[in-house]
Parts: sequence; C-alpha cells; structure tokens
Amino acid sequence: MKTRSMVLRTRGMNLLKKRGWQVALSTVMLAGLAFTAVAGWVGTPIGSRNFAIAFVWIGWFAALIILLIPIFGRGWCSICPIPMVGDWVQRGAVLEPQGRPPRGLGLRVPSLLRNMWTQNAAFALLALFSASILTSPRITAAALVGMFVLATGLSLVFENRAFCRYVCPMGGFIGLYSQVAPIELRVAAREKCTACQTKDCYNGSASGYGCPWGVFPTSLTRNNYCGLCLECLRTCPNDNLAIRVRPVAADLYVPSTRSDEAFKSLIMLGSAMVYAAVLLGPWTAFKFAAFGIGSLAWLVNAAVFLVLVLGLLPGSLWLVGRLSQRLTPSAEGTQANPSARGRSPFAAFATPLVPLGLAFWAAFSLTFFLTNGSYVLSSISDPLGLGWNLIGTAGVGWQPILAGAIAPLQTAVLVGGFIWAAGVARRVTERLQLPSLPLIGFLFLPTVVMLWLLL
Amino acid sequence: MRLREHAARLAILIVVAAAALIPLAAWLRTPLVHARMAESGGWGPDVLHARAGVPLLVRLTSDDVVHGFAVGQSDAPPVDVLPGKVSQTWVEFDQPGTYTFYCTRWCGPNHWRMRGVIEVEGSETAHAVPASPPLFQVLGIDLDLPHPAAATPSAHPDAQRGRALAGRLEKPIDLNLDEYRAQSPAAVWQKWRTDRGLAGLSDQDLWDLVAYTYASQINTADRSEAAQLYAANCAACHGQRGDGQGVFADALTQNNLDMGGTSDMSPATGPVRPVDFTDPASMLGASPALLHGKILRGGMGTGMPMWGAILTDPQIWNLAAFLYTFQFDEEPVS
Amino acid sequence: MITDRRPRFARLVSWGLITSAAAALALIPLPTVHTAPRHVTLRVEAAQFAFAPSELSVNAGDTVTLELVSTDVVHGLYVDQYDLGVEADPGQTSRLTFVADKPGSFRIRCNVACGQYHPFMIGRLTVGTPIAFWRAAGLALLALAAILLGAVRPAREAPA
Repeated sequence: MKTRSMVLRTRGMNLLKKRGWQVALSTVMLAGLAFTAVAGWVGTPIGSRNFAIAFVWIGWFAALIILLIPIFGRGWCSICPIPMVGDWVQRGAVLEPQGRPPRGLGLRVPSLLRNMWTQNAAFALLALFSASILTSPRITAAALVGMFVLATGLSLVFENRAFCRYVCPMGGFIGLYSQVAPIELRVAAREKCTACQTKDCYNGSASGYGCPWGVFPTSLTRNNYCGLCLECLRTCPNDNLAIRVRPVAADLYVPSTRSDEAFKSLIMLGSAMVYAAVLLGPWTAFKFAAFGIGSLAWLVNAAVFLVLVLGLLPGSLWLVGRLSQRLTPSAEGTQANPSARGRSPFAAFATPLVPLGLAFWAAFSLTFFLTNGSYVLSSISDPLGLGWNLIGTAGVGWQPILAGAIAPLQTAVLVGGFIWAAGVARRVTERLQLPSLPLIGFLFLPTVVMLWLLL
Repeated sequence: MRLREHAARLAILIVVAAAALIPLAAWLRTPLVHARMAESGGWGPDVLHARAGVPLLVRLTSDDVVHGFAVGQSDAPPVDVLPGKVSQTWVEFDQPGTYTFYCTRWCGPNHWRMRGVIEVEGSETAHAVPASPPLFQVLGIDLDLPHPAAATPSAHPDAQRGRALAGRLEKPIDLNLDEYRAQSPAAVWQKWRTDRGLAGLSDQDLWDLVAYTYASQINTADRSEAAQLYAANCAACHGQRGDGQGVFADALTQNNLDMGGTSDMSPATGPVRPVDFTDPASMLGASPALLHGKILRGGMGTGMPMWGAILTDPQIWNLAAFLYTFQFDEEPVS
Repeated sequence: MITDRRPRFARLVSWGLITSAAAALALIPLPTVHTAPRHVTLRVEAAQFAFAPSELSVNAGDTVTLELVSTDVVHGLYVDQYDLGVEADPGQTSRLTFVADKPGSFRIRCNVACGQYHPFMIGRLTVGTPIAFWRAAGLALLALAAILLGAVRPAREAPA
C-alpha cells in the first residue's frame, strides 16, 4: 500500500522556509521559560497557585500529550527554547548563517552514547522524584534551568544538539510517540538526492545550517529523530524536502528494530501505570513511599519501579516473543520463517506499545487536566501568588471540569488505544508470520489494569 | 544582513530579560507577611512596626497550610491566611506598646507557637498602665501543684435539678463573685455540707446545687462565645468532649520535647498530656482562679500555651466557667 | 489501517453485532441490587497527606454521613462527581451527609491546600459496584474478542 501523502501547498512551504516566525515563537518560549523559572523560584511555594506548576505540569504537559504530539509529532521541538542559546553560540548567529565557522569543541558524541539509553535512564530517574517535581515550583524551576544550562554546555563541547538528541527526557517520549502523527518531513524524490553532490541538508549552506539533529534527511523514514527544525527545507538546493500529511501512525507499519526504543516504550507504559497507582490511587503506603525521598520506603519504591519497567515488563515482552515463536505451527513453518527461529522478536513486538503507551499517558493526563485545569486559569492572573489579578481570574477556585465526562473519555481513549495497538500488533505479527494472540494478550492485560487504576 | 542579525539578537535579549526581570522586580516590591507552620519558622517577618493612631495595612500569604491572623485582645475579626493567596487587613492601635498577633487556624501541634509582635510607637511617651496582678497570684495559688478534690459526687451533678432545688430553699444560696472565683467546687460543696440550713439535702442534692450555682455565674451569650473559643483553641488538644483526647494529645508529648520544651516544671511523672476536664477528682478541686491562671500563664513547658496576650480577661474568666460544663450537666441558665 | 475484505453482508452483520454489544455494555443500567438503604456514618481522619481509612464503601441508596476529623492541619474532603465537600479544622469535626444515589467508584480528595503533596491526597469511595470500570472492562473484552475472532481484519500488505 502506497503511503498517501500530500505536499503542502507551495505558499505554505515558503512560509515554513522563512526563519522569522520560528525565531519569534522560540523567543516567546524562551521568555516563557525565563518567566516560569523566576515564578517558580521566588513565587509562592504552593504549587496550585504558582504559574510554574500550573502551566508546566497541568497546561503544557497535557497539551503536549493530548494535542501537540498526536497532531504535530515533534512539533514542540521546533520551537523549544532549551537549545536556543546553545545553537546561538555554536552558529555565531540567531538568524541565517553569517559565514562564521562553528564555535565550540564540536566533538562527536561517543558512539556508545549515540542511542536512547541515556534518555531512558534520565526519564526513569526523574520518575522516581516525580511526586516532588510535580508539586514544587522551585524544583520545577531548577529542572528547567538545569536542562537549559546542560543543553548550552553540551553545545559548547559537542557538535549539533547533543542534549536534544541524546539526553532530553522529554525528547525521549516525544520522539517515540511522534511516530503516530499525521505529518512527516521527508524527501520528495530520492533520485535528486542521489545526484546531489553537496548534501547541503546535512552539511549546511549559505541558506541554513546542517541538520542539528545529526540526521541524514535523505534517509528519513520515521519521525523519531527529526526535530522539525526545518533547516533542511532551507538548505536543500533542489527544494526536495517537504512537510507532508500522511496516514496516522504510518511509521509503525515497519516494525521497530531497536531495543533502546523498545525499552523506552516499556518504561513509558510502566510509569503511566505506576503514576496512576501511586498518585491517583488510594493506597497510602505507596504514596508515602513516593513522597519520602531518601527514606527506606522510597528506596524500596524506587527498586520496585525500576525492576518493573526495566525487568518485569521487558522480560514479559521477551517471553511473549518467545511464546509466539513456539506457537508457530509446524516444523516447515519454522524452517520457512526466520523470525520463528532466531532471537525473540523483542523490538518488533514493542511497536504496538507506541499507540498503547500514548493512550495510557493521554488517559492519565486527562484526569489531571480536567480535575486541576482550573489552576491554570488562576495562575495566569496571579502567576507568583503575590495577589495580582491580571485577567480577573485570580479568584477562580479549584473546580473540576467535565467531571462526569472523565470516565467515558478515559474508557474511549484506553479501549481505543488498545484496539489501535492490537491493529499494529496484527500487522507486525503478520509481517513476521508469527501468531498474534500472545502479543495481543500482552496488550490487553495492562489495558485492563490501567482501566482499573483510573476508573 | 548584519543589521537584521543584531536587531534579532537585541530583540531576543530584551524580551527574555523583561520576562525574567519584571516578575523579579514585582516580587521585590511586594512586601508580604508569610505564614508558615512553626516548625518551618512561623511568621516571616514576625515583628511588625506601626505608629499609634496610624492604620497599618498587613498583607498576608501562607507558604504551606491554612493559617489565620488576628491581633490579641482585639475586637477585629480574624482573617484567614490561605496557601498561595493574598489576604489583607488593616490594624490600628490607639496606644503605643507591644501587641501580639497570632495564628487562628490550627496548623499542627505547634500552632500556638505561631505568634509575632507589633511594635507600636507613639508621639507621647506611653503611660504604662500598671496591670493588676492576676487573682491566682493575689490568692497565693500555686498553679503547678496538683489540686485533688476533697469530695466528689457519685453521679454527674445536674444543674436543672439544682435550680429546682434552689427554688425550694427557705434561705436562698448565695455565692458572690469573689467567693466563686476563689474556691473550688469541692470546697464550696464542703462549706455547704457544714451549713445547718442545708443539712436536709443529700450529698448528691448539694452537688446539684453547686452545679446550678456555677451554671448561673455565666450568661448564655458568654457561654456560647466561650464554647466557640474552646472549639477553636482548646479542643484540638483537650478534645471536643473535654476528655484530654484531642487529635494532638498523643503527638503533643513527643512534639513538646522535639521543640525544645522541658518537662522540668511538671511533677515527677514527666511530660504532661492535655488535661482531662471530665475527671472530677482533679477538676472539682480547681477554683476558677486557678483555671484562669493556668489559661493566662500557660503550662510552663508542658505545651499548654499562655493566652494572656491573646484573650481578654473576661474571655478567660468565661472560658474557665465553661470548663465546668464538662463536670456539670448544665443547661444554659440565663 | 484496518480494512475489511469480507463480503458486504458478513461485514454488516459483524459490525452490527459489535456495535449493539458495545452500546449495551456502555449504556444499559445494571440490575439494581435491592439492599435496604441504611444510614451509615463513616469516620475519616485526615492527616498530611492521606485519609484514614482511604478506601470507603457503602451500598447504593444509603444515606451517608462522612465525619471528617483533621488531625494535623485544616483539610477538606471532596467527593468526585457528587461535587460535595466539607472542611475541618483540627479539634472541630465536620460532617457531610448525602444520599449515595450514584453507583460507582469515586475518588475522594482533599480540597483545601494542606501542604506540598496536597494534590495527591486521594482516597476512594465505592458506592455499590464500580460500574464505570466494569463497563470499560467489558468493552475492552468485547474489543479483544472481536479482534481475535477475526471480526475485523487488517490490511494484508504493508505499504511501500
């Protein structure tokens, strides 16, 4: 089946090629980051009344999971302010190239680290402190500033956006889930690339910079590692790159082959369930273990969490793969099918966890946003808790929105996510000529668990 | 080209700097009194300055839980200090001096330690009004000695029965204010037991008379206010039923030691739990003057706060009278 | 992504069956269990940052009185979807009385800012049976059955 895609109209493409709007939006985001950091640091320590918590963890995060990623894929990364200053220093410019050589040491990231494992570790570690990060304005401010400083520092040492590509804990799941988005940035005609001598998309030119994500745009087949910075649109002398609309989750038609991505999806799946159980559940012992950072109970909680997401879930998926191989009927089937022999099809079987994990996180975020979204309103009027009332909403008390709709919405998202994931599972197993029942069963069980935890 | 680049850089710097500096400046220019639980430092600042006759605007916010703000011995209603929100109140003092402000919503076992002072300066030198010594000092009562009741009733005395009994007496019972304040109920009972005019009454009848007499020392409105004061200030430790089983009763002992309190002043038994007002053996041996003194002065390291700067004298007397309701079944006798 | 290549009639019948089963699961009210409604009083202690007990359960139709006893700071008790709440200072028990006419499982949460982890001070009140979960589980099971029984079939070839 050919991927149906549609090149955006020329006028739209020309707009995307201009830098001005992107720099302007990123600047607004950078100003937002500065404001959030100040608000978080000196403003009221009460999370629900501080812009930093209300906006970052209720507003922005929910928007990211429910809207931005499913629709725009890595669109947030195109205007994210974290790498701005690092880029500025590396490039010696904020707009088009000024003809300067790149600054900084420009080292290549060591090959051992050129994968998602650092991001996986970063996310898993942060998850252990999530109860405090999500509720303390100061910790949120420190985290934002910390990421900003780290990104800038890494840009002085390494080439390109080393932080974004290999370290950013957000980028890990944004990239993974961007595979479901209906837009993609791809080459239009491969033949032109073969003929191209300069490879400006990768090396840069007078019109723009080489891909800061270390991706070779010609060979882009998935959204994961393209941060939609749009430089290659500007540099390609043949105007061969374009943003295209395509069927949802087209990237998942080809099963994944990377175990770091597989682990990422398992970490995301597991943490969604753990967050739902600990933060939204009634079990006091779990909560106190999560709150008491440094205590023995917290260490046990940390160990259990890590064993679950790095051991139990991956182990189960591996076994499911093995089981499918065992269940492949008849010796000749095994002979004829390489997938039925070799190693457990672990990475491929993790592919359906992409839509399932996204559904889990969307359902979880729905609760948070609908229950606590009123805090966003009041924090716009009084971001630091100093008694302001900028747009008159400072007095808006806590009030859940659409409370009666939460359960039906979550049911729709989770059951819908399961159906979608099962569809992907079917496709993957048919491609590998393995039975689909074990994998579909593996998707079904966490779905029911998540339903039980949330409803 | 280069001009555009420089303009862009400048624009970015200005926008980002503004986004950071404007809220910072606003924060620096907004003086607030921060309320925090005593364990986290209490009021910040805890000393305010005012001038006599000049109203002072106090703007408050809480950094952790629900608190409240009020000035001791003042009629002004307390104002809630809510987490992350700003509330404000005006305070004004006619006379210079040092006034106490305090937290009015329970915020942990150390809620009562959340106090601060307002130093009020005046143009003329303050005329120190010599405070008359509290009654317990005048009477020479040692507040820290145990006060067992010499006699206790066999059942809960009933003020309504006592009222009926009093109506039938030939010679009306009389207990003037000074006598009431200076004597414990057990002492009053013993005095009446030796009164030949009352010899015909049983022991329990006499207790009912005592109950009625004590109930009539306070009117309905004052009793109601005292009940509210008790609920808001005392029940958390002493219990809603006066039995010493308030929500903080267990924590208080350890907490008192944690906060650097001592057990020196209390008898050899060690740290003291909140008093059980339902225990007749000690409660009926306490005179109103003793109760008034305990409330006024506090418990000297036991965790019982000193209320002298917070409650007015009439309020403390009313509270003392109210405490006897845990002993006597009292209906309001106006 | 999922296309169906069976004859039109078979498709109609299976989709029809699935849709009606789904509608039934989602909408049909459960048969009411006739337990005599009682007056229930439940004492709930609130401390930073949990309710004790944190899981409560009553029968549908009961008149429930929740007694909130705060044991350290001012807390609140709010019942999701019933949209009812009450707050209590330590030393002053508060009561919330209501008729549990909506069956299901509802979160109870503190609705007075009571410290850092206040947003996670959550418990659970179950009235009768947790209907929403059973419906959802039923729908998930229906989806599983439909998928496994081949009621829907994905495309045979992957796209180029």
